[in-house]
Amino acid sequence: MKASIRPYAFSALGIAGALAIWQVLAAANVAGNALPPATMVFTTLASILGTGMFWSALGATLGIALLALAVAALAGVAIGLLVGSFEPVRYATLAVLEFLKPVPPIVILPLAVLVLGPTAEMSLFLVVFGCLLPIVMQTVDGVQGTDPVARDTARSYGMGEGEILARVVLPSAMPYIGTAMRVAAPAALVVTVVAGLLGGGPGLGQSIYQAQAAGDYASLYGLVIVLGVLGLLFQGATRLAERRVLHWHESYREVVP
Amino acid sequence: MSARQAPALPIRNRKSTMAQQPETRISATTPRLDVAHLAKTYGSGEKSRTVIEDLTFTVDAGEVVCIVGPSGVGKTTLLKCLAGLHPASSGRAAIDGRTISGPPPEMALVFQDYNRSLMPWLTVRKNLILPLRHLKLPAAELKERCDSALSAVGLSHADNQYPWQLSGGMQQRVAIARALAYRPEILIMDEPFASVDAQTRFDLEDLCLKIRKDFNMTILVVTHDIDEAVYLADRVVVLGSRPARVLRVVDVDLPAPRDQISTRSLPDFARQRTEVLSLIKRPA
Repeated sequence: MKASIRPYAFSALGIAGALAIWQVLAAANVAGNALPPATMVFTTLASILGTGMFWSALGATLGIALLALAVAALAGVAIGLLVGSFEPVRYATLAVLEFLKPVPPIVILPLAVLVLGPTAEMSLFLVVFGCLLPIVMQTVDGVQGTDPVARDTARSYGMGEGEILARVVLPSAMPYIGTAMRVAAPAALVVTVVAGLLGGGPGLGQSIYQAQAAGDYASLYGLVIVLGVLGLLFQGATRLAERRVLHWHESYREVVP
Repeated sequence: MSARQAPALPIRNRKSTMAQQPETRISATTPRLDVAHLAKTYGSGEKSRTVIEDLTFTVDAGEVVCIVGPSGVGKTTLLKCLAGLHPASSGRAAIDGRTISGPPPEMALVFQDYNRSLMPWLTVRKNLILPLRHLKLPAAELKERCDSALSAVGLSHADNQYPWQLSGGMQQRVAIARALAYRPEILIMDEPFASVDAQTRFDLEDLCLKIRKDFNMTILVVTHDIDEAVYLADRVVVLGSRPARVLRVVDVDLPAPRDQISTRSLPDFARQRTEVLSLIKRPA
């Protein structure tokens, strides 16, 4: 019992320590009004939480991030299955995909803003762009990593190619896809915020930009704290989902002797 | 020498004697499984590699035939050709006279690597159902097939467990049950008992013989274990390497039912395993 509480106790201690250092640095006035004390940030945050504007911004951010993530996951897995399964498709696309993969979404942000304007669509596009390729590449790896014995088994029982793809290859690739999703989920949040911050898309990014422009540093840090918490939630949710879906996989098995 | 129980098994290999024993089988004209001058070459031109040169043997209905040979002789390649997974380069393999060109619906395959051939994300029962889905069976028949297959291998209690929760021997029994639920007429096993401990191995060998008896199945087993081959088989096809060819087809004259203790202690058992072993050990 004690052992299970300990990690949490230490985590709480670490957070408290970080906040204390923040408070001391702010009190020592090391960064002028650019670093307001923690207490002030939390008071401001409490008042922000009472405004409708905050909640609609939060809703916009979550909506964009989750929708884009869903689109990227569905499209990415579908494209990945296709690219991974069919050699001609693979040869035709892999060079392009490998070329695009290291391009960070922020590089094409100006182009996206130019074409789509500072809109939710622009943010959506950027997030999908940022999340899609890693999911595609992981799915391709997963497809290629499918055990040939499992495939041969399915074929020897007369299962069709489509059925094998859906019932053998896709489940085999799930661990790879799970890893991709775990990386993509927090990234979706980050890109949504960046699209708002730099591209003027709706959501918390835009709120942060406005706070910064107004010199309202306490609100700015308050919003950053909200984002941090959101990031943790995203990560936790994907981890939980992964554990559920992949309960059969070596890394999640509960070994029953 | 010893009175063998029905069915009487005629020698059908073309390399062996032409003398035919009186046939007591019901359908007698064509062998169940007929492998004639089968060859398999991978690649082409200078890089080509001939794994199987010229294999000819037959398996009759209700027979257990074991294929033995030195490791790397191409036994797995042969099975893949028989299962319709790889096309033969020349010659042919046929079931009831029909050339095998794709996975035959009357055949099921049991692989050596049960932990790679069973799907870890499916429970035991769902593993059994997986290859049956495309047969579009009525739900009641699906259930009946799974139930009887699981009880045939003694795993009725494990149907909701995942394969990885079971021991190696149990996993291989699940793989065998999956094959049984498919209701094949011909069961092909690729070194099925090579990855389990000795005691489990004996149990699985007897399970194999029980399946032949209960389901009147034709069984072809590839193995590198000569004792196992002699114990299980009505005939042993001894392969020589490389490329693979039939050295001899040995008729096993051991009484049925076979028994792990009494059969293995028969002088005939020792004589026949020596016969097979000396064929394999003999420099090619």
